[in-house]
Amino acid sequence: MDTELSEISTFIHSIPPFDSLPKQVLAHLVRELTINYVRKDDYLPPKGINEPRLYILRKGAISCRSADGELVSRLGEGDLCDAFYHTETNAQSNSQTATTSQLQVHTDEDCLIYSVEATVLQDIGGRFPSISDYFSQNSAQRLKNKMTQVNEEAILSSTLMNTAVSNFYQSPVASISTNQTIQQAAMQMNEQGYSCLVVVEDDNPVGIVTDKDIRRRCVATGLATSAAISEIMTRDMCTIDAKSNAYDALMMMTAKHIHHLPVTKNDELVGMVTVTDLINNEGHNAINLSSIIHKANTLTELKEISQLLPKLQIRLAKLGSSADHVGKSISAITMAFTKRLIEMAEYKYGQAPVPYAWLAAGSQARQEQLAHSDQDNAIIICNSMKPYDDAWFESLATFVCDGLAECGFIYCPGDIMATNPKWRKPQKIWQNYFTDWVETPCPKALLNSCVFFDLETIYGDVALLNKVRKQLLIKTQNSTLFIAHLTKNALNLRPPLGFFRDFVLKQNGKHRATLDLKHNGIAPVVDLARIYALSEGISAVNTIERIQQAAGTPSLTRGSAENLIDAFEFLGMLRVEHQAKELMRGETADNYLSPKEISKLEREHLKDAFKVIKSLQDARQSSY
Amino acid sequence: MPSTTLTNSPLFGWLLGYEAKRKLLLNKAPAGALRDFLSVPMPCMATPIDKVAILAVDFETTGLNAKQDKLLSVGFITLKQQQMSLKSSYHQIIKTKAQLEESNVIIHHITDSQKEQGQALATVVEALLKALAGKVMLVHFSRIEKQFLTEACHHLYGMAPIFPMIDTLALAKRRLDKRDVAYDPSELRLANLRHKMQLPEHHGHNALNDAIATAELFMAQMSKANKDGKITLKDVLL
Repeated sequence: MDTELSEISTFIHSIPPFDSLPKQVLAHLVRELTINYVRKDDYLPPKGINEPRLYILRKGAISCRSADGELVSRLGEGDLCDAFYHTETNAQSNSQTATTSQLQVHTDEDCLIYSVEATVLQDIGGRFPSISDYFSQNSAQRLKNKMTQVNEEAILSSTLMNTAVSNFYQSPVASISTNQTIQQAAMQMNEQGYSCLVVVEDDNPVGIVTDKDIRRRCVATGLATSAAISEIMTRDMCTIDAKSNAYDALMMMTAKHIHHLPVTKNDELVGMVTVTDLINNEGHNAINLSSIIHKANTLTELKEISQLLPKLQIRLAKLGSSADHVGKSISAITMAFTKRLIEMAEYKYGQAPVPYAWLAAGSQARQEQLAHSDQDNAIIICNSMKPYDDAWFESLATFVCDGLAECGFIYCPGDIMATNPKWRKPQKIWQNYFTDWVETPCPKALLNSCVFFDLETIYGDVALLNKVRKQLLIKTQNSTLFIAHLTKNALNLRPPLGFFRDFVLKQNGKHRATLDLKHNGIAPVVDLARIYALSEGISAVNTIERIQQAAGTPSLTRGSAENLIDAFEFLGMLRVEHQAKELMRGETADNYLSPKEISKLEREHLKDAFKVIKSLQDARQSSY
Repeated sequence: MPSTTLTNSPLFGWLLGYEAKRKLLLNKAPAGALRDFLSVPMPCMATPIDKVAILAVDFETTGLNAKQDKLLSVGFITLKQQQMSLKSSYHQIIKTKAQLEESNVIIHHITDSQKEQGQALATVVEALLKALAGKVMLVHFSRIEKQFLTEACHHLYGMAPIFPMIDTLALAKRRLDKRDVAYDPSELRLANLRHKMQLPEHHGHNALNDAIATAELFMAQMSKANKDGKITLKDVLL
């Protein structure tokens, strides 16, 4: 009698979490089902049903609206509706998630609906926790569990991401005083077996010296080994906080092309981490790629290397890397390309007439770039520049932007590039720009200039941008009008809650419905994070860092921050996987996801992610 | 459609009314399942269709001729207020002496060994009559169920009961005939009608699956035809 009710069983078995049930339990569950036919423009629960039940949509479409009539979700074939599953509203549910008891569930079409009593599922849940977990959680919790699982996969394939630098650094740091000689330094390196020493003055680290410096700056130049070590040390030393993850350390070293990185704890030097320490733990070749870029001498060579970028992205995606990991790797490599091009330009046109910095804007600045996205860049120049100096900067900008375009980073469609004279200005003009945007926030100008609130120095004098940023953040924190305008703009992009339903409706038509992951999912989170950062004076640019730092401030509760990061990571992961598939087929990577590409479970999670984003957008809207 | 006896003819039903005929038969019926069935009043003809208690039924048989062929299995489920509970569903294979013909085995997936696990015809018909009491039988293509149940009752009780039926095929045919446009008879198949109503794919030939599929089709038909809720049992009865 195995064909009995087989179609219903097969259907139920295809829906998470029931896909995890053994056959016998499934058969029992199917026996407990009730089938209802609910006509169009009616409401759930069907007449005569009062007890709590879970509804499973077999055919048709329903929409759930909150008490004030706003659409919360639209469900189609194979979707679960738990609006009437819990008898009482959960007193602990936070205000950002709608209480389900107030939902109005309306049939948009004739519906064939299966349902099962909550008590039956609770019985099954007693033996199969995957069932009870699924229905005891709200969407944010389900997403959280999903992301924990994803991270576990990532840990297996890449330990660096989830390991703090503190697990890798060597301590204590070998140090040497500024007034000691080069020869003493070389002897100390030999004795202790280090290739790198931190130079200290009155216990304060002031620089770093490596065996390579002795070779290049002393022996090769004929400098006396009796000269002070301070002569050959590198002064502007990068450091990393011990709490940072090891992957960030690796990326920092990749981008700056250095092999040693001093580690600090509360601004005090505690150790040193080397590339070798890290690379032994990491299989991928971002470092290699970066060092080949550094050695390239011609544009043709760079162009060849750039063709490896999609391959790296595929590889990272296959390793199960998180979107954060992929974004940081690709951004670090783009940074290496840009730096190499600038070095080539400086070689070609001579040294810059005045100090300057090359800035990356948008996704590269946020370290969320994927292979061959468009370039957004700008130049900030020291106020001492004379009008005729601009010729040099124009040459630089043209050389670098053209070079990046050759390497597959297409020109910015909005002309946000250093070649545009508007975005190649001295520090004081940049300061005026920001002041104008903040003080007279015309919505349209804001939309165009939003990209400049995410800026990072790629090359040159870091202090130029830092000063502008510091003043900007003081202004934005105190300008509610500006934040209100920014919020209004940001809320133009809403996650499409009816997306799945629309897709089902259009499945027989010519138009293949897709989801724009970038504009409908990722951008709204990036926008929210920017608003939190600007209202709370947070200087971080990376979206996850911004959310982490905003957590616990008046802008964002800790719980919401965690949910938002989970949603962002999940959307990012979908994008990375989607693009990897396209790149493997030799297609251009885009952001348009077809629901057919993803599993039913992923669709559930995607819906959960949208709900989290929407609830925080709503919270934001109501605060202005 | 060959009708067997006068008392089973539609003309007779029309003249006397189901209820009157039921009472008539009740007096003649031997004690037992048939008598119990006939002692429950039929639903009133003026009842709005949504409120009528319905039993969706499907038989699998060894052939189309009720005199020669045998009942293989019976499936049914109660439908009321556009709702069916699978708990109320029933599916039973019947133990018969007839050797299964190979071609039918392929259609119904019932093998001789499975059939041996079946129950006696009397037990299954009793269960059906018990469930059907006070309800209207819903089938797709009424000839099979009507003739095989009549034949089985003759065999078991020496007389046949009267049972009002709704036939989803007849309802669909009525609609198509009204349009005055030629149609392919295959359009009237259960799977094809369901497809037209955008109901889930259905692969038939299990008596219970088919009974459920028929009930779903009927609900979809009523959704189209009964928007104002004025359709009564009388309007849809065969």
